[in-house]
Amino acid sequence: MLADLKELWRFRELLWAMVERELRIRYKNSALGFLWSLLNPLVTVAVMWSVFTFLLGNNTENYSAYILAAYLPFLFFNMALLDSAQSVLGSLNVVKKVYFPREILPLASVIGNFIHFVLALGVFFMFLFGVWAFTGFQVAPFTWRLVALPFLLIPFFALVVGCSLLISALNVFYEDVKYILSVFLYLLFFVSPVMYFSETVRSALAGRANGALIETLYHLNPVATFITAFRKVLVPPGRIEIIQDGVAVKVPPAPFDYTMVGVACVVSFVLMVFGYWVFNRMKWRFVERP
Amino acid sequence: MKTGIALDIREVRKTFILSHSGAASLKTALLWWKKANREKLEVLNGLTIRVKHGECVALVGRNGAGKSTLLSLISKIYKPTSGEIVVDGRIAPLLELGAGFHPDLTGLENILYNGMILGLSRKEVLERTPQIVAFAELETHIDTPVRTYSSGMQARLGFAIAAHVDADILIVDEVLAVGDYSFEKKCYDYIDEFRRKGGTILFVSHNPDSVRRVADRVIWLAKGQVKMDGSVETVLEAYLAAGEER
Repeated sequence: MLADLKELWRFRELLWAMVERELRIRYKNSALGFLWSLLNPLVTVAVMWSVFTFLLGNNTENYSAYILAAYLPFLFFNMALLDSAQSVLGSLNVVKKVYFPREILPLASVIGNFIHFVLALGVFFMFLFGVWAFTGFQVAPFTWRLVALPFLLIPFFALVVGCSLLISALNVFYEDVKYILSVFLYLLFFVSPVMYFSETVRSALAGRANGALIETLYHLNPVATFITAFRKVLVPPGRIEIIQDGVAVKVPPAPFDYTMVGVACVVSFVLMVFGYWVFNRMKWRFVERP
Repeated sequence: MKTGIALDIREVRKTFILSHSGAASLKTALLWWKKANREKLEVLNGLTIRVKHGECVALVGRNGAGKSTLLSLISKIYKPTSGEIVVDGRIAPLLELGAGFHPDLTGLENILYNGMILGLSRKEVLERTPQIVAFAELETHIDTPVRTYSSGMQARLGFAIAAHVDADILIVDEVLAVGDYSFEKKCYDYIDEFRRKGGTILFVSHNPDSVRRVADRVIWLAKGQVKMDGSVETVLEAYLAAGEER
């Protein structure tokens, strides 16, 4: 594995060129390419926000920012996995003709999507400033917790790299993997706190037998844990409206859960190493797929 | 230029698993009892070849003799089932011209990207871009997407890039038959120049004329083994005679 890493380092310039190509193709054919690609999350969040505020009557403060702060990382996870699932298979004609470290293909998909995610976070802060100005400069657009953002981005990136390497390698041999993946990602959206809050989950489980156990299980999904953590780091705390004993009450957001985030970090790095190991074991057989 | 052994192919075997089930899917992986119909195909059977720096070797043989597999193994696309391949120097594989082009990117962008796949640094590619464009004779089209190119133009660009990576060893798989007459001449001129500078060439061809034109040694592969290895006329004559017997 060290030899593979060394070889990857030797080809690092190619990796950057591929990332550049990925972004160039994505933003190509339209001058507003980057803005177009932001339209999807912004429209989705606007719809979710309208539904929850007007149709379901939820009064959580700063709600649109909360959804956006969760939806952007979720979208990164989602898009990076879907792109990298096809990355090796889609370039098989090149892979069959030229040698280069094959892991460059999924890595370029992940890094390209990651850069897009970071750019989208920039737009997110512009949005927060907008909200700040719009609400008469009441809620500050960010808190001191923002310094923790890189420490969340790095393990989250590692998680995506690990999953992508696994999926891109498997998808070469079993083409049904990408169908299973899209169903899985659809379901993941519902079992991750994007539209709702981990506080909602806690209050719903509070009265139940094994409630604490189910909550821990829920947060063993690293995506759920990271999304909650992103919210706490990115959004200035506003009170969240939850239903308690049939009555809507506003509660302050729960404190940052260091234990669960720590577990998620460990899981992410282990997955990255495991994914790379599996990928390296399979990569020489890509060209020999039946 | 380098001296000594350029390519050292030692006892190389390559076995492929033939699948009759068609497409890859989880279903075929799970139906383990159907794996009985998996056949093994031995393409290379303990091949040993040594090529010195500066030699120009032509590989001849019938379809399925293992020529292309051998070129792919040398280009590090496959890993040998057993045995070892030691390469001294930089390889430029010309297995299929323009295989790595992305249709939506311009010729210029594809030069950068393809040059880097072939092992150049960004700086090196940028330095050579004007020469590559001139060699491919694509000055007027270089800023348009490659999908608008004809197949001949794509092949020209592919050859031009590979010709400028400063390789020590050129691996060619019957790609010189593309392009018009004048470009073909240009390719041969390039190959002559490459040989004059002491470069090593390993190529596959079914055309006796181009073998005579370029090679100074011919290896005849049959059933994954070296059947004959020697000077151009001796081996080519034997090979052509064997072909007529059938």
